[in-house]
Amino acid sequence: MNSYSSSDVAMKRSADRGPTLHGPAHAPNGTWCLAWSGNGGQQHSLLIDRRGLAANLLLALGLMASSLAYLSLGSLTVAPWELIDVLAGGGDPVASFMVQELRLPRLAIACLTGAAFALSGCLMQTLARNRLATPGIIGIDNGATAFAVASVVGIGVVIAPPAMALAGAATATALTFGLVGGGGARGYRFIVAGIGVGAVFGAITQLLLARVSIDVANSAYPWTVGTLNARPSNAVAALALGLPLGLLAALGLSRALAVMRFSESVAKGLGQPVNRRRHQALILAVILTALAVAVAGPVGMVGLIGPEIARYLSSSRSVPIVASALAGALVMVLSDLVGRTLFTPIEVPVGIVTSVVGAPYLLWILLRTSRSLA
Amino acid sequence: MSTPSDALGDEAAGLEASDLGLAYGKHTIIEALNLSLPQGQVTAIVGPNGCGKSTLLAGLARLHTPSQGHVLLDGQDIQRLPSRALATRLALLPQETHAPEGLTVSELIRFGRQPHQGWLRQWSEEDQCVVAQAMEAADLQGLADRSLDALSGGQRQRAWIAMTIAQHTPLLLLDEPTSALDLGHQIEVFELIRRLAAKGRTVVMVVHDLASACRYADYLVAMHEGAIIAEGDPRDIVTPTLVRQLYGIDCTLIPDPETGSPLLAGIRRASS
Repeated sequence: MNSYSSSDVAMKRSADRGPTLHGPAHAPNGTWCLAWSGNGGQQHSLLIDRRGLAANLLLALGLMASSLAYLSLGSLTVAPWELIDVLAGGGDPVASFMVQELRLPRLAIACLTGAAFALSGCLMQTLARNRLATPGIIGIDNGATAFAVASVVGIGVVIAPPAMALAGAATATALTFGLVGGGGARGYRFIVAGIGVGAVFGAITQLLLARVSIDVANSAYPWTVGTLNARPSNAVAALALGLPLGLLAALGLSRALAVMRFSESVAKGLGQPVNRRRHQALILAVILTALAVAVAGPVGMVGLIGPEIARYLSSSRSVPIVASALAGALVMVLSDLVGRTLFTPIEVPVGIVTSVVGAPYLLWILLRTSRSLA
Repeated sequence: MSTPSDALGDEAAGLEASDLGLAYGKHTIIEALNLSLPQGQVTAIVGPNGCGKSTLLAGLARLHTPSQGHVLLDGQDIQRLPSRALATRLALLPQETHAPEGLTVSELIRFGRQPHQGWLRQWSEEDQCVVAQAMEAADLQGLADRSLDALSGGQRQRAWIAMTIAQHTPLLLLDEPTSALDLGHQIEVFELIRRLAAKGRTVVMVVHDLASACRYADYLVAMHEGAIIAEGDPRDIVTPTLVRQLYGIDCTLIPDPETGSPLLAGIRRASS
């Protein structure tokens, strides 16, 4: 090992004072360095990216504000001051029922699914080094949906929808990789193969629905558009458990992911076991997508827009994991709020709202990309 | 032993290929190749397109798993080294370098410290010191906060080399570091490479242009169809016969009046 004669002294000096926030003299531009010494005397340090932190705070504030709006607006408007009363357990019984029993659980589901879709999208985009490579576009959503619908309409083995969704997501992913061959998750070939696989699973879903009675088809309808209305509670529990774990796992991978945005040989040269990390991140993305689809069905575009907002607000130094999750939750909450309130009493499924917002955005990305390639 | 007071100097490390074979699927590129790289010197690998020089470099850097034989770093098989341990001893600049949009020069160079860092060891005074020295060595101080997209080709290439310098490894492998650069920018990069070797680093580079290789390398490895056909001091091994074998051209070799390195004159296609 190298010995760091001069720096040892300086590090010890700062360690004597316990945790210290280094100013710009020590930390690189745009970051704070939090340094402390561990039990064994080894030096620990964390770099806090100021822009990333600001992005997370801004998104968290936005999420809180839109959550308040979500709870107060709807067929019955509950004023913000009454809301506090109602959340504390008092207030008007009708308002209390509206907020506590209907809107609050649905808000939680919107946050969970939005965060899971966007986090999964962020992982896939980073792996493929392409912003089009979100689970929704490369067919993972559709695979999960087709399997879940199969279980709802009673074809094949009857397993709980979350497990079926996971099996479907894994099948679609495996098929996409199988079609691409050795090329891996790089380039348009992967995306085109994914779109094809997604189309096949979309067709299977339609076929399954066409063959069953209208009542069964109706019960499976939410799966095909993506909605937060009356969701299966076991699937919600699985997501509520899986999302925090997935977020932690993604944070654990974040340093590897930051380097994997470079070309593969650069990432390998910097000491990352690239293939192993890629598999881990891919498995994580597939699980998160499946958990979210099992709850809300294939809500399109959140996996594309969420990370896009997060990247815009954060710095390019790292992959915006937390910011993507927050932005995804924000997009989902706002979209469902619009879907619930725009044409009351008719409710527009959230998946339709996100598609209406997301489709022009997708077009813009496609046109911009093809122009920069030309 | 080394101290961060000089990021450029470090203990030498021996890299050698022993009975090395490299293949893409069933397509063998290199077979039973033996090579020992001189420590603390600049080695240039030259040869015609498709001779396997970049493949050899990829094999030496463990980007490519050998189909036979070994690559040894100080006598240890590199396939058995953990990724991070290898990255603290061998730095690589591949030909294809793709960076995230908007990344600045100093941010790029900081990524070179990653093999020395961890989740709870994200920034040390040593990191700061080595990054500053890498930036100085590559003459980039004025450009630290510029976005990579806004740099000239030569500046960008120097920024990438600075990232590998910040990796603080005794060995540096560069795949065509001057391709797509104009003459002025090529000299910029080659002179940086010479400065690194003068500080004791072992540099291995794949070079397209034979004259530049002769001018800036201490040791030349000439490859043809996956085999080494000559190696040694460029002044000793570069002959009209070798040039003809490598590129199928006839020429007259004259020593550079300033440096004595061989220059190619009167180049024409070989009569047969």
